[in-house]
Amino acid sequence: MHALLLKAKHPFVIPLMAALAFSLYIIQHQIAGYKGMEKKIEEFVILPKGEYLKPAVIGYEQLAADIIWLQAIQVIGEDTVTPKGYDWIYHALDVVTTLDPKFAYAYQLGGVTLSVLGKVPEKSNALLLKGMRENPDVWQIPFYIGFNSFFYLNDYRSAAEYMAKASKLPGHPAYLPKLAARLYVQAGDPDVALEFLLRMYKETGDEKVRAILEQRIKEVIVERDARFLEEAVRRSKDVYKAYPEKLIELVERGIITGVPREPFGGYYYFNPEDGRVYSSVVKERMRVYGK
Amino acid sequence: MTNSVIKTENLTKVFKVGFRGKSVAALKGLNLEVTEGEIFGFLGPNGAGKTTTIKILMGLIYPTTGKAWILNKEAADVEVKNRIGFLPEQPYFYDYLTSREFLRFYGQLFGLEGDELRTRMNNLLTLVGLEDAADLQLRKFSKGMLQRIGIAQALINQPDLIVLDEPMSGLDPIGRKEIRDIILRLKEDGKTVFFSTHIIPDVEMICDRVGMLMKGELVNVGRLNEIMDAKVKYVEIVARNVSKEMLAHMEAIGSSLYETCDHVSINVRDEDRVDSILQLIKDGKGSVVSVIPQRETLEEHFIKKIGGTS
Amino acid sequence: MKVLTIARNTFREAIRDKILYNLLFFALLMIAASLLLATLTVGEQSKIIIDIGLASINVFGALIAIFLGIGLIIKEIEKKTIYNILAKPVPRYQFLIGKYIGLLITILVNIVIMGAGLYIILILNELRWGHSIFDVNFDIWKAIYLIFIELMVITAIALMFSTFSSSSTLSAIFTIAAYIIGHLTEELKLIGDKVQDSLLKGPITFFYYFLPNLDNFNIKGRVVHRLDVPSSYIALVTVYGLFYVAVILLLSGVIFQRRDFK
Repeated sequence: MHALLLKAKHPFVIPLMAALAFSLYIIQHQIAGYKGMEKKIEEFVILPKGEYLKPAVIGYEQLAADIIWLQAIQVIGEDTVTPKGYDWIYHALDVVTTLDPKFAYAYQLGGVTLSVLGKVPEKSNALLLKGMRENPDVWQIPFYIGFNSFFYLNDYRSAAEYMAKASKLPGHPAYLPKLAARLYVQAGDPDVALEFLLRMYKETGDEKVRAILEQRIKEVIVERDARFLEEAVRRSKDVYKAYPEKLIELVERGIITGVPREPFGGYYYFNPEDGRVYSSVVKERMRVYGK
Repeated sequence: MTNSVIKTENLTKVFKVGFRGKSVAALKGLNLEVTEGEIFGFLGPNGAGKTTTIKILMGLIYPTTGKAWILNKEAADVEVKNRIGFLPEQPYFYDYLTSREFLRFYGQLFGLEGDELRTRMNNLLTLVGLEDAADLQLRKFSKGMLQRIGIAQALINQPDLIVLDEPMSGLDPIGRKEIRDIILRLKEDGKTVFFSTHIIPDVEMICDRVGMLMKGELVNVGRLNEIMDAKVKYVEIVARNVSKEMLAHMEAIGSSLYETCDHVSINVRDEDRVDSILQLIKDGKGSVVSVIPQRETLEEHFIKKIGGTS
Repeated sequence: MKVLTIARNTFREAIRDKILYNLLFFALLMIAASLLLATLTVGEQSKIIIDIGLASINVFGALIAIFLGIGLIIKEIEKKTIYNILAKPVPRYQFLIGKYIGLLITILVNIVIMGAGLYIILILNELRWGHSIFDVNFDIWKAIYLIFIELMVITAIALMFSTFSSSSTLSAIFTIAAYIIGHLTEELKLIGDKVQDSLLKGPITFFYYFLPNLDNFNIKGRVVHRLDVPSSYIALVTVYGLFYVAVILLLSGVIFQRRDFK
């Protein structure tokens, strides 16, 4: 019987192995269903604080940081991440940067995603401030704090201060000192915000962040155009003592050379009831830059 | 074919050795047949391919080409091993076991159990004289004891064929005699014994047939008296009290003389002259100690063969 | 029957080996030391004890699996004891399975001892704070059970490497590498989901499904935080482990059957 088995060995072993391998594929698929994204994020809760982890990784802090980092960036930017999820991501990045405090990019990516995607600018700033203490020479970190302060915390003064700090650090882009200066004096000007956003857009590589910034840029363009058109309407009223019925009249009367194109593909219109200009797409005017 | 116990046909084994996988032929077309009830001595210097042959027979390695049968079944067949007893070269056993545990373990591998196994274990411990060491761990055994317990495990299944790889190497003369006695007893029980050795007197004393292996090739096989010249090479006469003039006379007849203390040994090439020499000694009032016809020894034959092939 | 004879002998060999006792001693020492460490924290003492305890069981279990697992075959070859076994009417695959089962029994006994040690420490901890012994997190046994299934896979991998390698150092390195990769397999899925390049996606998906996914067996974190672990998950992962072991043993068997024992 064994002799038979010996001879028959390969004919039955290979199909059996194939069947088992296929079953494994199915089973692993099932298991993956149990795990899902939620499980990944829950792992970060389980993650002990960096201070505790540090002695446990016996000198391999960078490696440990890399492993947690690789897990974290898989989750960052997923649409399924809940607001609580961003708390967890913050924790993971806090652990990463405690294990490897000089890991500047972790602060940068964390800083941008936590505020722009996660809408938790306080956590973003906490991480960035930690980054600034550990990496005082990296200009992007104060740049991001300034961004957060300006767009999410409406703290123009501190935004200007951080931008000034960034513009004193090595390697900063040429535009930075000027932007900082403008923030001090014209914080409420949409043009400043627009420039800031465009610079930010260039600095970040993350597609999801860029998509949100693009949206924001268009909104600011709308705000800027609306203000420009309102100003024209006012001048027109000063001359003709009446509101124009259509914005095109402003061009016909030679007050402006053209009505700007609405960036979302809609159009601008004038509402005589409140005397303001609106976009057909963006119904509400921005409150942030209101006078 | 019916009573062939071991048979190999053109057995060749090529090993790849070293980093570059150089091919080295350990066996070159071995044809061997061992028949039932004989003690077969497998003789050859170290590295001749004896162990390779035995490993193929035991299914531990596979031949590159050629085939091997044991008891008319293919050597790699697991079932046929029920009828074989095997003692590997310089047996390495689980040294954390006691003699009893050791024999029980191998007995169980043959599917033995209960009283049957216990009886066989006790009989074998008696046979190899290890009753007193029954509960001693093997790590405390001497070389000779290990060899004996090794033989005991080889016999646990009451095999028809017993294969022993270098069973006498590293043993003292008494140890070797004990192993020889066991082998002879096995033959009396009608078993076939196949053993390898590089020690010639082992073979000379007990083997029915021998096979001589050299550099992977069988250079000679057959009954001892067939292999070697049956013809007497010379007759050695040992005598005492032989006078000088007598010696000179003998030398003149054509014999060589070796004087030792009070003996003289006279080697006579021509058998016909033995009588006249003995007469001479008698006439000279000398006394004859022994008269031994000398044939070629296996060792001489062996050396001659090595000289011939290398 | 012959499989069990070999398994029993392997178990006997392991328990007469000093290395095993050293490993077990250190594991129990670690678990006991967790009680001391737990006094340093405020609240959640049991969390720290369970963390350290389960980690110790996992690490020392893996050490036993890797080092004894590799020795299973290589030691037999080095000590030349294998010749005499395979010359008996024991098919090679039965020898392999016997060795494997023998070591599994050894590992099981050790894990149960370590688990019992951890459980006793947890009971002592609860009693010290005036709690009932029913407050002890019984789910640690679920985690320990899956650690055992993980060790089954690791042992099989160690066995496979030792069927074709004759160097224990090399086999140990391979097995440890497989252990580490096995814990990173989970990341492959996430990477595979992100990668757009189909040329890369194929191999990544392949490796994700066919490398051992040891993370499947890791529920230590969930158990510590008293998160629910569905029984269906445990059953599924068990089947995964057993199937994986079957594949590796078949592969080892094929390799082992063809091997020459020079």
